[in-house]
Formats: sequence, C-alpha cells, structure tokens
Amino acid sequence: MIKKDNIFIVSTFLFLLIIPILLDDFYLNNISYFMLWTFISLGLALIWGMGGILSFGQTAFFGLAGYSFAIISINFADTFAVGIWSPILALFITAIFGMIVGYFLFYGGIYDVFIGIVTLSITLVLETFMAQTAGPEWAIGKARLNGFNGMQGMPPLGISLGEYKFYLQGMGQYYFIVLLAIVSLWLLYKLKKSSFGLILLASKEDRVRAESLGHNVKKIQMIAFTLSALFAGLSGILYTNWGGYITPSSMGLIAAAMPVIWVAASGKRDFFSVFLGCIFLVYISQALAIDGAQYAIIVMGLILVFVTRYFPDGIILMLKRFLSNKLSTKNRL
Amino acid sequence: MIFLFNTFYQFGDALSFLLLAAIGLAVIFGMMKIINLAHGEFITIGAYGTVVSAKILKLPLPIAMFFGVLITIAFGYVLERIIIRHLYGRPLDSVVATWGISLIVSQSFLVIFGPSFEGLQTPLSNFQLGAYSYSQYRLLLIIISILILILLYILFLKSNFGTLARATIENPQIASALGVKVDKVYTITFCIGSALAGLTGAIYAPTMTIVPSIGQAFIVSAFVTVVTAGASPFIGLIPAATFLSLMQTSVTSYYHATIGILALLFSVILIIRFLPSGFSGLLTRLKK
Repeated sequence: MIKKDNIFIVSTFLFLLIIPILLDDFYLNNISYFMLWTFISLGLALIWGMGGILSFGQTAFFGLAGYSFAIISINFADTFAVGIWSPILALFITAIFGMIVGYFLFYGGIYDVFIGIVTLSITLVLETFMAQTAGPEWAIGKARLNGFNGMQGMPPLGISLGEYKFYLQGMGQYYFIVLLAIVSLWLLYKLKKSSFGLILLASKEDRVRAESLGHNVKKIQMIAFTLSALFAGLSGILYTNWGGYITPSSMGLIAAAMPVIWVAASGKRDFFSVFLGCIFLVYISQALAIDGAQYAIIVMGLILVFVTRYFPDGIILMLKRFLSNKLSTKNRL
Repeated sequence: MIFLFNTFYQFGDALSFLLLAAIGLAVIFGMMKIINLAHGEFITIGAYGTVVSAKILKLPLPIAMFFGVLITIAFGYVLERIIIRHLYGRPLDSVVATWGISLIVSQSFLVIFGPSFEGLQTPLSNFQLGAYSYSQYRLLLIIISILILILLYILFLKSNFGTLARATIENPQIASALGVKVDKVYTITFCIGSALAGLTGAIYAPTMTIVPSIGQAFIVSAFVTVVTAGASPFIGLIPAATFLSLMQTSVTSYYHATIGILALLFSVILIIRFLPSGFSGLLTRLKK
C-alpha cells in the first residue's frame, strides 16, 4: 500500500521512468544533466536541513571527485574495468578528503557561520590552485591538468565485457541516474528515521544537550559531512562524464552558491522537495542562460534573497504541504 | 639594510592587504554576528565608484575615492534597510541572503560595465633601493591601514557611539532596555562596515585591473583573517593578520603566490583545530 506522503514520490519516479519513450536522446541528455545536480543538493540537504551545518563549499568535493575521476580514467583508459574502478576510487578519495575536513571542523569546535566560511575558503582556494596548473609540469601520469581551461578527453564511463560494451550515454545514462536518485532518496529517508538521523536532528536543535545525553555528536556530524561530500562527489563524477570535461570554475564562488540556492529555495528539510526543486531550478538556469549566463545568475540571486526573506522553509516544500493538505481533506469527505 | 627593508616592505604590503580586506567584514561580524558574503561586491562598488568618477567625471583621485566610499555607504544603507534588517533573528539566513546579493551585484556589474574597464595609473612614483624597485603608493597603503585601525579603535573605545555599540554587542536586549536604539546602532555599524569595504576598493583600485570580479581577490583573505581572529574580531584582527601575513610572505618568497594562498588556508585549518576561538579567544584566555 502506498502511503499518502509517498504519492508524489512514486508518481514522479513513474513519470521519470516512462518519459524516455516519448523523448529523443537530446532531451534525455538534458534531463540527465538536470538530475545529476540533485545529488550535490541532496548531500547539502542532509547536513543543512537535518544537521544544521551550512557548508558553502560542497563544490570542493564536486570538483575533487570530478578531477580525480578524470585523472584516473585518462591514466588507465585502456585497462579492463576502469569504468567501474575510476568512479569508485574517485569517490573514495573524496570521502577521505571530506572526512579530514570534517575532522578539523567538528573536532576543532567550529560551528555555525564559521563552517560556511571555512568550507567556502577551501573551495575557492582549490579553484585558484587548479586555475594555475596550465603548465606542462602540472600533470599526473598521462593526465595534464590544463589550468583554467580544465580537463577533457577522458574516456566515457562504461564497462566492456568481451564483445559487449556498455557506455553511460544517452538512455543508459538517463536510467542510471534515475536509479541512483531512487536509491539515494530511499537511503536518505531511511537515514532520517534511523538513530543516526535522529541524533543528527537533535544536534541541530541543541548541540550541547544532545552531547550531554551521551551521544558522540562530533562523530555523527563528521560522518554526515563525509556522506554529503560523497553525494557532492557523485554529482562531480556524473557531471564530468556527462560533458566530458571539468574546469576549475566548477569550484568557484558562483558554482558554490548554486547548491545553496537550490536547496534553500526548494526546502532544505525535505529530500524529495530538494530533488524536484533542484531539477526545476537547473532547468530555469539553463533556459535563462540562453540570453547570457549573467542573467541566469542574477535571477538565481534574486530567488535566493526572495526565498530567505519571505519563504525560509522553501517554496517546493510549501507547495507539497499545501497539496497534501488538500488531498487529506478530500479523503476525509 | 636593504634586505631588512625589503622584508619589511613585503610583510607590510601583505599585512595591509589582509587588514584592509578584512576590516569591513570584521566590523559587521563583530557587531552583528553576520558574515557579509557580499563583502567582495562592496569592495567592487568602491573600486568602480572610484574609477568611474575619476575617468568619466574627471575628478581628481582623492575626491574620486571619496565618491567611491560614499556610493558604497549608500548601497550598504539601502541593503540594510530592505533586506538585512528583517533577518536579524536568523544569522545563518542573513548570511545566505547576502550571498544572493553578492551574485546579483557582481553579475549586474558584468552586464553594465562589461568584462573589463579601463583602469587608473598607480599614483606617486617608484623609488629604487639596491636592486629592487618599490612603489611609494604601496608604502602609503601600509600607513593608511594603520591609520584606519587607530581611528576605529578611537571610535569604538572612546566615542559615545562606541560605548553604545559595545553595550549592544554585550547584550542587545539589556542595551535596548536601557534606551539604546539597537536598530540604529546596527544600521550605523553596517554603514561603517560598508564604508570600510568601499574604502578598500577605492584605494586598491589604482593598483589593480578593474574587472567585475575585483572584489573576489579580497574575500578569501578577508574570510581567513576573520576566522583566525575568532569570535571577537576587534581584539583578534591585528594578531591574526600579523600571523597570517608572516606565514604568507615567508612561503611566497620561497615558492609561489598560489602556494602562499594554500599555506594561508592550511595555517587557518590548523589554527582552528587548536585554537577554536581564534586569536581573540587566546588573548582573552591569557588575560585571565
């Protein structure tokens, strides 16, 4: 039986699973692009909405994963099963980095807005660093880092078993991302109800009280931060594979603002709202960017200011609550 | 002797850069616990205000700089009135809102002024000492940054406004019960922070390429300085900036400017691990 709350989720995913029949590869690739950003947003929703930890630098993990993925796949382009190992290795590197940053943040006793500034500084410094790697001395194995222009020419993600080759492109990529989204959402909802999620929530409400109840809040926060880094890394890998390139500006100030905007505007407390809102907002950015990227960014900035001023709970979440209230009153009649 | 002067010059240059980059941010954060993420754009406004008044209105440089600062103050005032003021109870939200403002302003500059703008010449001349050449203007900047600090200390420690401001930091509710107009104090503080950011932009404008992202050159330095300064930046700012500029100049002179920035970040991450409340926390502890 489907619970009332899940009607939206199930119908959305049914819709997403069916539409490839109606659309050609161009539109599918576009929708894949919109959806690949949902993971970095879901990761941010996990630590911000549930944990009250506002990280401004999720793009650091996005970029790190993208670059690691690119470097590994270029270096081992011809080896068997690189398609499986390069993303896993890249995610592993990202998780380690996330854990180290998380350790220094939470065990160092950094909270509130300082977490935002430190993480933002990390992503900006990474951007500056990668942007100056233009010279030939900046290469890891066969992979040139290429400075400001970024890396490209990595082989597409895929597996080849003898004769049979499967690449993550077109419809395959689309279904893969939808599947990942289903698994991620399921996982996050499970997490929310687990004792881990409850302690994280408690730490957001009152850190000191949660600690004095005997919970290891710092450890929980570090793990949550690492998880969110993993989600950001997943987006980074999918992005790098989708476009075949990764640039330092994906870690810059404007890129770093985007996940915050998507999550804040959608409703940081609800994962599904974040998922939907993120797709919708990336679509809007792309549609507006036809007249010039700067206009799209201005509109995103306006949305952020407007939402924090008037709808601190997020617009999509508000709509969802409104709709489910309507549904439940109808059932009662 | 020349070596000593050279070291002093490098160090002073880095120190004044960090101090001037951070000071506006530190004043607003110290008073209102809001990190103004649009700080970089305030600096941009100061710089563009100066360059536009100097180039188009043909004003002499000091007056153009004054104009740049005035425009930034006006912008800060309007912003505080229409947005920031409504978010006082929600510090994280107000930080997020300032980020939105930052995006709007930086991209609007790109739309209005295009990707680059004809810059100004660095005023004053260079002088030669041994094998090196030094800019007199940069020496002047070092003096200006020290002067600004002295003025701020007088303002916050000796003036009437300073007393009201410190009462508001200590406890806004009680201050307001005693008749301090807390809202007004916040507005004035936000304007002072804007003025300082605008001044930074104005006086660095002649030394930099004028692009819409000019303010972003300052923000990482500003952030790390305020973070290392700790919870009460008024106390921690000078030791934090001194320490960081020592780190940066020593690393930069041996390696590379980018490595210098990386070193800055690493020292910050280490500092917050072992001194969670920054230099101000350390100083308060030493006092006790």
